[in-house]
Amino acid sequence: MIKTLIIDDEPLAAGIVKEYLGDFPQFEVVEMCQDGFQGLKAIQQHQPDLIFLDVQMPKITGFEMLELLDEPPAVIFTTAFDQYALKAFDAKALDYLLKPFSQARFKQAIERFLEMGEREHDAEENQALGQLAEKSNRLVVRVKNDIKIIPVQEVNYFEAEDDYVAIHTSGGKYLKKMTMKALEESLDAGKFARVHRSFIINLNGITGIEPYERDTYLVKLRGGEQIPVSKTGYARLRQVLGL
Amino acid sequence: MLTNAFSNPKWGKWIIPGAGLAWSLGCFLLQIQYGLELEVAGVDSFVFGLMLMVGLSVIHSMFGYFLPKKENLGQIFGVPLMLSVLGVVGHRYLLAWWYADEAEYLFFLEKTVYLREAMLAGVEVLWAMLSLLASRLEDQNQLNQRESQMLQLSKDAELAQLRQQLQPHFLFNSLNSISALVASQPHKAREMVLQLSEFLRGTIRKDSKSWIPLSEELNYLRMYLDIERVRFGHRLQVDFEVEPELETVKIPQLLIQPLVENAIKHGLYGMTGSVRIDLKCERQENYLALEISNPFDAEAAVPEGTGFGLSSVERRLYLLFGRKDLLSTEASDGLFRVTLKIPQYQ
Repeated sequence: MIKTLIIDDEPLAAGIVKEYLGDFPQFEVVEMCQDGFQGLKAIQQHQPDLIFLDVQMPKITGFEMLELLDEPPAVIFTTAFDQYALKAFDAKALDYLLKPFSQARFKQAIERFLEMGEREHDAEENQALGQLAEKSNRLVVRVKNDIKIIPVQEVNYFEAEDDYVAIHTSGGKYLKKMTMKALEESLDAGKFARVHRSFIINLNGITGIEPYERDTYLVKLRGGEQIPVSKTGYARLRQVLGL
Repeated sequence: MLTNAFSNPKWGKWIIPGAGLAWSLGCFLLQIQYGLELEVAGVDSFVFGLMLMVGLSVIHSMFGYFLPKKENLGQIFGVPLMLSVLGVVGHRYLLAWWYADEAEYLFFLEKTVYLREAMLAGVEVLWAMLSLLASRLEDQNQLNQRESQMLQLSKDAELAQLRQQLQPHFLFNSLNSISALVASQPHKAREMVLQLSEFLRGTIRKDSKSWIPLSEELNYLRMYLDIERVRFGHRLQVDFEVEPELETVKIPQLLIQPLVENAIKHGLYGMTGSVRIDLKCERQENYLALEISNPFDAEAAVPEGTGFGLSSVERRLYLLFGRKDLLSTEASDGLFRVTLKIPQYQ
């Protein structure tokens, strides 16, 4: 049996997926979830092979939910918004069903899943996650079994830690699996600056800049932290701050 | 202002000096014909022309800026008459003093006082009427301009509203629900098709400026909410609390709808579990007061709207009533409350 999860905040919309899926007896719907939080729990619990995912849902969006997964299953997006198609493609979604969709179109998506087989998507999907860059004013992270939503303006600075980025806020430190490049692209360039290969700082929190070694500087932040600034980082900083 | 009567505004400021000059010239020629000396006739007509100019200027600045109300329309005659008397008397005494020893001229001056008064008064009254007319026309013009501007804005509002109400996702999600219902509950599917049609028809009502009874607007809202209820099952609970005698009160149409839509967007799309949206309507002195409240989640990922909801209502209120204090919002204890006051002139 292929374990399938349907995540959609509209019961009727979830129902139609289930109805269409009735034509394929090898699929088993393990649960129907109404938001991303429930979806996340269900994914951990059932380890489904395929999820049908709505984008616009209460609390967190479908994309944000995917970001929190270390090994996401194959995903078929179902949404009435066509503007997410490109992003879904970036997220290596298997397919993108625009509501309302026909049974024939649904069948195509299922066939695509069956053709692809299990082995391919695992590797591919994992790799895609880091690149989910989008201008966003909040970050969604997982703290053990909880989900934390951090408005970006509350972040003091970001620090690279291997495959993760450490998010430093006044309330503590959080880890999120993503690349510095993707993060930098998702942030407002007028509010954050990448001052170093491993650091992005919130410009609001700067209290002072002082020379350190040759061609490098130290930025002091409100919380007392001292962040190293590289030569190129300093040039960038001067530009954004208009020095 | 009469000085704005010319298409080229540069000419406007020459109206009064020009009139003064023509007046002086006319008087001068008349007096020469009558047989006055050149010098005397010149001084006399120059001073008389000056008096006319003073009178015209005073009238012009008076009626150019202040439009007399109906009850003191007498000012149109009163003010020019007074000014003309002042002008003629002033002219008479000034010249009588200047040419104190020219007996013949003094006689002439005495004889022509009434004639002068009649002439000056006639011209100044005419001038006052013209000034008033020009001001009225100008006002009317401004009013027309404002009106056409308002019409344009309300057209824009309606268009944007249409775009917003036809928010594709609402339409497509509703169609998707219908698609889901067709097989399992065909009756319900048909009902939803009808609701959706009614709703769409409502959004393209022609005249966004017209006022409709509150009950009509509320029915329209119920329809919209019914569609949302089909989509979200029993998660949505709506409570209308409207005093029955208010049902016939007239309000500008489609004014409340964006507010309810806003409540839905934040309350329903942004929350899990059951959501209750309250709409209260009551009379407060000369206002119809409406309060809509919905729960909200400060952290929710609310879909980017067209940004037209609250600000559109604010703008329309300003266009309709020229006021910016009719809409207020308040967020506390996870509840978002918006209050709308619609002035009633009965």
